[in-house]
Amino acid sequence: MKRNTLLAAASTIALISGGAMAQETLKLGALVTLSGAGASWGQGMMRAAELAAEDVNEDGGLEVDGTKYKVEIIAYDDAYKANEAVTAANRLVFEDEVKYIIGTVGSAPILAIQPITEENGVITMTLGFTGQALSPEKPYTFRPNPTTAEVAQPQIDWIVKTQEVKTVGALFPKDETGEAIAKDLSAAYEKAGATLAATEFFERDRVDFIPLLTRIIAQGVDAIELDGNSPATAGQIVQQARDLGFEGVILRTGGPATQEIVNVAGEAATEGMFVHSAFDPGVESAKAYEERFTSTYNEPMNGFSPFFYDGTKMLFQAMRDAGTVEDTEAVKTALENISDYQGILGTMNWTGEDRYGIAHQLDSPFYIARVEGGEEVIVARCTSDGCE
Amino acid sequence: MSFLIAQSLINGVILGTLYLLMAIGFTLAFGVMRIVNFAHGEFYMIGAFCALIGVTWLGLPFPITLALTIAFAILLGAVVERLVFRPFRADELSGMIASLGLAMILQHGALILFGPDPQAFPSLVSGVFRWGALIVPKSRALALGIGIVILLVFYVFLMHTRHGRALRALVQDQEVAAVFGVRLEIMYPLGLGLGVALAAVAGGLMAPLFGVSPFIGGTPLLKAFIVVILGGLGSIPGAALAAILLGLIESFTSSFISASAADIVTFALVIGVLLVRPAGLLGRAET
Repeated sequence: MKRNTLLAAASTIALISGGAMAQETLKLGALVTLSGAGASWGQGMMRAAELAAEDVNEDGGLEVDGTKYKVEIIAYDDAYKANEAVTAANRLVFEDEVKYIIGTVGSAPILAIQPITEENGVITMTLGFTGQALSPEKPYTFRPNPTTAEVAQPQIDWIVKTQEVKTVGALFPKDETGEAIAKDLSAAYEKAGATLAATEFFERDRVDFIPLLTRIIAQGVDAIELDGNSPATAGQIVQQARDLGFEGVILRTGGPATQEIVNVAGEAATEGMFVHSAFDPGVESAKAYEERFTSTYNEPMNGFSPFFYDGTKMLFQAMRDAGTVEDTEAVKTALENISDYQGILGTMNWTGEDRYGIAHQLDSPFYIARVEGGEEVIVARCTSDGCE
Repeated sequence: MSFLIAQSLINGVILGTLYLLMAIGFTLAFGVMRIVNFAHGEFYMIGAFCALIGVTWLGLPFPITLALTIAFAILLGAVVERLVFRPFRADELSGMIASLGLAMILQHGALILFGPDPQAFPSLVSGVFRWGALIVPKSRALALGIGIVILLVFYVFLMHTRHGRALRALVQDQEVAAVFGVRLEIMYPLGLGLGVALAAVAGGLMAPLFGVSPFIGGTPLLKAFIVVILGGLGSIPGAALAAILLGLIESFTSSFISASAADIVTFALVIGVLLVRPAGLLGRAET
């Protein structure tokens, strides 16, 4: 009897003390594309945030100023649409009361939610390629992945020089992202001594590119550029261009998507394609992340995912440095002050002062790879100064 | 220039035949059951997944996979008719909303089962047929060939069999058909089942060309819708005419003007036809 009472007392104490040590929760929004053409990017981002959260939760939570916070990811799908992103942003900011959002995937969605997030001091980490996403008037927006503006020129210089490309054809989605990339690429090819001779714009959900490709190929282009298209769409373009007998160079100067393109178009059609790669499997931490990703989710990792893993981890470090999770202004300043961050992809620093007027763009090494047997083989290593 | 014209003509005919497969199933379901089936695009998606499972997972030859897909789709259509659409038989609006709900259930079911990423579908054939400068990808020629065979078989069934006649009678007048002994409890599931099977077979044929993912149903549904509105709801010859017309218009405007122009021209044509002939090119006016 006495023993039972003791036991009961002990368990009560355990319960109470357990209650007293209960963790605080830190909610992180993931406003990404989980359905439609951009879904593989969105999933890569959401899962990056989940894995980063898993890291800190394993240690009992994120420790900021003596309090441990269990990190919880709240995910919403914007279907790559500005209006759905606004609905989700309103829910995240006003109902779930999150102060940090990983997202959005698309350019139009980030521009649409910025009035809400900037006004309320919510820090966002977007993938959106538009130059307008970052500006001094939008101090709470950061971009952890390089965009066409950062990576296009050195890669295009290299391709034009080594593959003797003179005229290039390209298809772009008809939206903010597509327009921005078309403009950047056209200037980059011009500078490299080639011309973007044939461009076509199409609705994002289009699957039949034969008429457009017929037109492009009829103009006798040396190469077809895939940058700006979602992985699935790019795969269809490759397959259908080869179906039409196109034998020139196919390249993608931005946006990692090789695995998905090979999945859709098949190994034969993608053989010899040149792709942008942010990912050197020779870097051990990067390889380990890829293995962890595929073993956790049983799906190939999208190449954008590591940037958002690093980005989320940098955000956590900024919270620790600032000693607060509530005061996002202090966290933002701490995030800006991080330098030489050792991420899984290499050493990361903020850049973009010249281009955007604010240093909220992460700079990291990148590569040009040739697709052989469905796998990326790195053929040139690049920095923003050039490739070799 | 003449190269581009001939190439556009070929592209357009191929596209039109594929739209026709989608549209005939759609218009048949409407003609027989008076239900605007918004889930039609999702049956296309299911057909594509059936083909994927058959070819890549089970390693079956493509023709057998297609045959199994058709059988499965007819059964699926019959079950859907019994469980979802039968209660709304006399109620077009509720049936339409039920079909919207069904579309969402099917799409998100596929999303849960297969994930959002596009799945790899091995090319069945590779290479091109060439006549001078003209090019037809073999993969498209194959889809076109099988599509035409299926359409012919369907035509013979509809025109020259007892069940086909019964279906046509139902499209013309339900009550009179019933009075003359058409057994509704068989013909309704059969009508929807055949409609679903045509969508599924279109999905299976298109899978090697356009890829497979849970979201592929939207565009073909929209095309079927346009074709059926142009041709006249419930009219099969109208659908045939409109599908080829739509394929050619899309192909020519995309090749000579731009992809955006193709959408503009298509919808302008739909509005124009609705203004001049509200029942569609070959449709019958509601009485």
